Amino acid sequence: MPTRRSLLSPVRSDAARTVPQRDTPFDDPKARFQAGLFGMWLFLATLAVLFVSAILGYVVVRVDNGDGFIPANAPAPPSILLASTVLLVVSSATMQRAANAGRRGDPAQGGMMLVTIALALGFLAIQAVAWRQWVTQGVLVADNLYAWTFYVLTGMHAAHVLGGLPAMAITAVKAARAAYTPDNHRGIVYCAMYWHFLDGAWIVLYATLWFGSLR
Amino acid sequence: MTTLDTRPIHDEVPGNYLTFRRGLLSWLLTLDHKRIGVMYLVAVLVSFFVGGVMALLVRTKLLWPGEVSWMTADEYNKAFTLHGAIMVFLVIIPSIPGALGNFVLPIMLGAKDVAFPRLNLFSFYLWVLGAACAVYSLLAGGFDTGWTFYTPYSSQFGAGGTIPVLVGVFILGFSSIFTGVNFIVTIHKLRPPGMTWFRMPLFLWALYATAVIQVLATPVLGITVAMLVIERAFNIGIFDPAMGGDPVLFQHFFWFYSHPAVYIMILPGMGIISEIIAVHSHRHIFGFRFIAFSSIAIAIFSFLVWGHHMFTSGQSPLMNVLFSAITFSVAIPSAVKVFNWLATLYKGSISLNTAMWYGLAFIFLFTIGGLTGIPLAVLSTDIHLHDTYFVVAHFHYVMMGSALIAMIGGLHHWWPKMFGVMFNETWGKIACALVFIGFNMTFFTQFMLGSQGMPRRYYLYQPEFQIYHHISTGGSYIMGLGFLITAIYLIHSLFAGKKAPANPWGGASLEWQCTSPPPHDNFATTPRVGDCYDFSAVSWDEKKQGYVVDAEAHVAAAHHGKGH
Ligand code: HEM
Ligand SMILES: [Cu+2]
Repeated sequence: MPTRRSLLSPVRSDAARTVPQRDTPFDDPKARFQAGLFGMWLFLATLAVLFVSAILGYVVVRVDNGDGFIPANAPAPPSILLASTVLLVVSSATMQRAANAGRRGDPAQGGMMLVTIALALGFLAIQAVAWRQWVTQGVLVADNLYAWTFYVLTGMHAAHVLGGLPAMAITAVKAARAAYTPDNHRGIVYCAMYWHFLDGAWIVLYATLWFGSLR
Repeated sequence: MTTLDTRPIHDEVPGNYLTFRRGLLSWLLTLDHKRIGVMYLVAVLVSFFVGGVMALLVRTKLLWPGEVSWMTADEYNKAFTLHGAIMVFLVIIPSIPGALGNFVLPIMLGAKDVAFPRLNLFSFYLWVLGAACAVYSLLAGGFDTGWTFYTPYSSQFGAGGTIPVLVGVFILGFSSIFTGVNFIVTIHKLRPPGMTWFRMPLFLWALYATAVIQVLATPVLGITVAMLVIERAFNIGIFDPAMGGDPVLFQHFFWFYSHPAVYIMILPGMGIISEIIAVHSHRHIFGFRFIAFSSIAIAIFSFLVWGHHMFTSGQSPLMNVLFSAITFSVAIPSAVKVFNWLATLYKGSISLNTAMWYGLAFIFLFTIGGLTGIPLAVLSTDIHLHDTYFVVAHFHYVMMGSALIAMIGGLHHWWPKMFGVMFNETWGKIACALVFIGFNMTFFTQFMLGSQGMPRRYYLYQPEFQIYHHISTGGSYIMGLGFLITAIYLIHSLFAGKKAPANPWGGASLEWQCTSPPPHDNFATTPRVGDCYDFSAVSWDEKKQGYVVDAEAHVAAAHHGKGH
């Protein structure tokens, strides 16, 4: 019975090479885009729960310990983080412009993507500087929970930025070739959604850490 | 889009998804939901085998109340932890959605695939990566924290493989999340014209409710184990009481995920049972809307009861009372389902096929499992029963006796569809009976052990408990034999089974209307849908040795409001 033999057969048929795999069940690109948007929203909901739980964990130990949470001579979160916040907000705006250009098929999409990536790298650089400032002031992750939560929460956010960069890079390469058109701009729109999310998440996170550092 | 080639590859057989492409790579890189489902099936069953061997080792040790020469107390701790972690994270959580859900869901919708085929394959490889981490953790010294990873034991002590396995759990969580995202979008966006929410098979309602929990609860587990890894690595963290952290916070986080997770395990199983009971009774499912909405109700309630695992943790008495009260209310939608299944059976013309045997076993075992949850939800009795074998018995009745039995029932129900062959019914029933008898021997005794005070996870025990342990271990061997027989006749059927008709049991939902095994595209054109529980247009065809659905009459009946 060929049906059964095929399960184990090592023979490759020619069909395997000639017919490309179907990567979507949707015939209509619009429907595919709608589904993708919905999927992105769900993914962002997942990430939102992730960030909210992390922040909640912080709030619990912060409240449990009262002001004793902050060691006597501990510094406040480095004020340079204000600068990185500005960069991230601006990058969100340029990302949106890139996506809008993509929707129109406007070649400006490529430039805007590059600016966004540059701002993202700038953001990460400043985060690194902020960490260095604390380290040189002798505040290390294993010293106390005040330090630990700061490094872990900012690190978690930075990891998400870092994780987004490969996708951003691929999108930028495509955008540089003006590959996004009114008919197909899925990738750049998904990218923008993720980026705005990280922007918002950072603002909430930073505000929480800042309030938490007040006695 | 490129046009698709559905030409038969062999002249003598119509093309199907198994023959559509050949070679190992065509499997490993496939985007076809059916093949991904089959890969999950193999992966999950292999894990089930490994987890099962660990269980048998643990049970064998417990034949003796004292020390044994061949297994130290440390090894015992590692064995039961490995067993629990494998069964929960590698087997039961992914089994039904990953294997059967992936295979059946798009076909039940008359769709060509899930919404995001690439993401689907990615989920599978995340599962593989998570499993690899678990294997690596064994090389790194194993782990002995219990599947619950309670702090501070897990953060400050615990064997050397704790960090790798936590990383694995994190990755497996994301595998589960992506499957959930995929299923929600698929169900929203790919239902065919005419399939309203209330015409959608109950298995899909169950998978939908499950997916909502997967998406919204799993990230909590993710961040929790991530924090635990960091805490272990730096020797400080928010769960560390010495530094002002809170070990009970870990329990809150853990159960905020893991109670909903028990419904990730059981809801898909309930969905399968709804299909099996209806199809093999040839009778319209009773109380469709009740069953459908109870899935959603369970999903919502499941987020509000986590504290019932922490009655003895020192949380405030008010919390205890609230969690106890809300826990009782979860039992209501569960009972609603049981009553509706029983009402469907009543006056149905029941075909006692192997799948139906599993369906009936489920109803019996789930009833015991659910009812024994109630003394655990009562504050006064839980103080006595917490962390005893009573809890072990309770959750095995629901996780193994229900979720896993449903999975195996579903496997038999859809096996002819998946592989195009019939298995041996006689052996199927013998194996089911062995599993059922062995299961009850193994775990019913544990209710007695627990209520008499035998704590869970102990290597040594009082000699007076030995008789119960002997019965329990004996039962586990019988169960093992049942599963062994199942594996043998199922594998045998792949090579020598009778060819399966498109519709061997008389189902009316869409998956029974394409060939067995289904073609690569499932359906050439989007099929028209009727009421999937209206069996009036289903009849036996002697020539095909299977049932046929008169599609015209079926759809027409639905449009005239018949069959409700
Ligand atoms: C139907 C109503 C149910 C009720 C009222 C209920 C109640 C409870 C309670 C109160 C506990 C905590 C006992 C303790 O640790 O002292 C518990 C433990 C447990 N239940 Fe249930 N349960 C129900 C259904 C389920 C279902 C459907 C599942 C899974 C499919 C499940 C899985 C578990 C597990 C895994 C544990 C113990 C986990 C551990 O400590 O390792 N339960 N149940
Ligand atoms: Cu629970």
